[in-house]
Amino acid sequence: MDFNLSKEQELLRDGLAKFLSTRYDLEKSRAAAKTGTGWQPDIWRGFADELGILGAALPEEVGGIGGGPAEVMVIAEALGHALVVEPYVDTVVVAGGLLRRAGGTLANELLEKIVAGTAVVALAATEPGSGDDWQAVSTVAVRAGDEWLLRGSKVVAMSAPVATHLLVTARTPQGLSLFLVDADWSAIDGHHYRTVDDRRASDLVLDGVRGVLLGEEGQASPSLAQARDEGAAAICAEAVGCMRKVLADTVEYCKQRQQFGQPIGSFQVLQHRMVDMYMEVEQAVAAVYLAVLNLEASPDVRARAVSAAKATIGRAARFVGQQAVQLHGGMGMTEELAIGHYFKRLTALQYEFGSTDYHVARYASLTK
Amino acid sequence: MDLAWSATDSAFRDEVRAFLAEKLTPGLRRAGRLMTSVYADHEASMEWQRILHERGWAAPAWPVEYGGCDWSLTQHYIFSRESQLAGAPSLSPMGIRMVAHAIIKFGTDAQKEYFLPRILTGEVFFCQGYSEPEAGSDLAALSMAAIDDGDDLVCTGSKIWTTHAREANWMFALVRTSKTQKKQQGITFVLIDMTSPGLQIRPLVMTSGEEIQNQVFFDEVRVPKSNVLGQIDDGWTVAKYLLEFERGGGAASPALQVMAEEIATAAANQPAPGGGRLLDDAAFARKLADARIRTEVLEILEYRVLAALAGGGHPGPGASMLKVLATELSQSLTELAMEAAGPRGRVYQPHATCPGGPVSEFEPPPDGYVSGEAWQAVAPLRYFNDRAGSIYAGSNEIQRNILAKAALGL
Repeated sequence: MDFNLSKEQELLRDGLAKFLSTRYDLEKSRAAAKTGTGWQPDIWRGFADELGILGAALPEEVGGIGGGPAEVMVIAEALGHALVVEPYVDTVVVAGGLLRRAGGTLANELLEKIVAGTAVVALAATEPGSGDDWQAVSTVAVRAGDEWLLRGSKVVAMSAPVATHLLVTARTPQGLSLFLVDADWSAIDGHHYRTVDDRRASDLVLDGVRGVLLGEEGQASPSLAQARDEGAAAICAEAVGCMRKVLADTVEYCKQRQQFGQPIGSFQVLQHRMVDMYMEVEQAVAAVYLAVLNLEASPDVRARAVSAAKATIGRAARFVGQQAVQLHGGMGMTEELAIGHYFKRLTALQYEFGSTDYHVARYASLTK
Repeated sequence: MDLAWSATDSAFRDEVRAFLAEKLTPGLRRAGRLMTSVYADHEASMEWQRILHERGWAAPAWPVEYGGCDWSLTQHYIFSRESQLAGAPSLSPMGIRMVAHAIIKFGTDAQKEYFLPRILTGEVFFCQGYSEPEAGSDLAALSMAAIDDGDDLVCTGSKIWTTHAREANWMFALVRTSKTQKKQQGITFVLIDMTSPGLQIRPLVMTSGEEIQNQVFFDEVRVPKSNVLGQIDDGWTVAKYLLEFERGGGAASPALQVMAEEIATAAANQPAPGGGRLLDDAAFARKLADARIRTEVLEILEYRVLAALAGGGHPGPGASMLKVLATELSQSLTELAMEAAGPRGRVYQPHATCPGGPVSEFEPPPDGYVSGEAWQAVAPLRYFNDRAGSIYAGSNEIQRNILAKAALGL
């Protein structure tokens, strides 16, 4: 039993934390999210060139450092703490994992570009009729020589507006398959928008758009399930970063804020509320370990651990987020303090990569 | 980062498993499985202590020179975990896990020589005299008077919530030897012979019908000063040391895991409100999954506190957090067991269980009839008794006060 990070993992964490505390300004990033291109490309360049975090968890063959789930955990937690909107989880964890398992020259070249920061890849899996189920795909792909033509609709494709490439799920006669599509918005009918937590996403209509098959035709299902679990585990770690920040801010605020002639943090009812927040955060931390340490196990063990983690984080994110707002009073509802921005992210991530209810239900079916 | 046990620890786990498989008789397993509270049937508990003592495992946390084991914290955790998973009856915590550590730290040579070997064999069985009717969470407000009279302290007053007072032949108690400005001063830690003249025990009948708790009355009970542990008027130091000593090596999650498994097994054979199996009922399945998820997470938290201790660190506020989480989770599981038990969960049939003490005013049916299965008889008694979890050993409100200060600096 060992819960310690290695020296390299500690360096990674400290280097990233330092970079973010000096370079990642909350107001500036919100401005970019709202009015600009949706992100800060120079930050992404810094991730690639100065920090090397884009390749930290990718194989050495594509220029990465060859880390694994623990590296992703360290990075995602730090990104969550600074409320980073740039698409690390979407591009490196989700798309990176899908490309790695697909293999082949094309996938490897794209992975090299991800490591170098020159390609941003987004997954388009959700459809108007799929609900939250990535496996419920009605988009179809028809073979046309070496290429395929894709027809169908995708919604809320996270990070698609800032992507250079898209990974699109579609059915062929052989079954569920994965295709690489250039993010060429003259060929794709795309509607781009901002999400409530200041990310970017797209709805797209594919009407005979060209794609290249990645991996074996009809064999994408297990890899997609794995990508979803890996994405869930990563945002669990991100949530822990958010919650640590929110809890620290709330405790600090309650020590400063005076009412009835004393700091409101001296009231027992608020102290116990913050202790309950603290215990939710500690359980969330433990839940991330549970997921990360089982992420490379067999699919059932992995799914059970990830569902336990995501359900725990969903519960914690809701409670910690809501109580942080409550304890900040009216100011907690504004965009003037950090708390409001974190609250929005803590709300959105409860529904990403499977909602809390979905994961409790999956856990129940896996433990029956 | 790694969740796996080392090869040494795995070998140790196998050794413990083999021991448990061989030594846990069906009767002992039954006593462990049908417990209605954290206290096992007294006879079964003492029998299991005797078997453990033969192997040298009755008091593993003691220093080796007094009969303890040279185990790492991880090994202590493994031993505790495997014992719970195997359904071993619990040992009484008051002697081996509590007062013995204070005797080792503060006792005279004579006290050590007399008490420690006898605690190990079970010849000396301790109960705890801390709480008083007017001193619960505010323990230092205790007022049982101990008047200095030559070689003795003369004690008058009463203690309450004394678990197993009638089974015990000794009590460790906090008494007031002087009244000072600061209520923590003037308290003395004494060891009292339960056969002393002037001592009377009144059992408290709990909602489960069990008589495990008692109120003990002292009317000029003479306690020789040779039975004072530590210094007169400085008993709070001993008491605080004892409280701190309850840290680490403990594992609540395995027992909770067993409870959850038993509920799942039971629910697979019980009808759901709308037909089908209870285990497939969406509302029930959701609650059970939630409890099991919390149990898995608690296990990691316990590992983390253990890992901190094994690395020479301090559990910090971790111990308070684990106490709150484990007791609240246990209470949720007793609710689920009640739901699974169905109509039979309302039948009062303690004879089908193994309670931790005598049952008051109950005549078992002459033919031993039980409506339903034993676990259905256990469910309500456990539900009632488990309310104690958030009250004892520092109520969960007190634990939250501690956490607010220690973890959040409030």
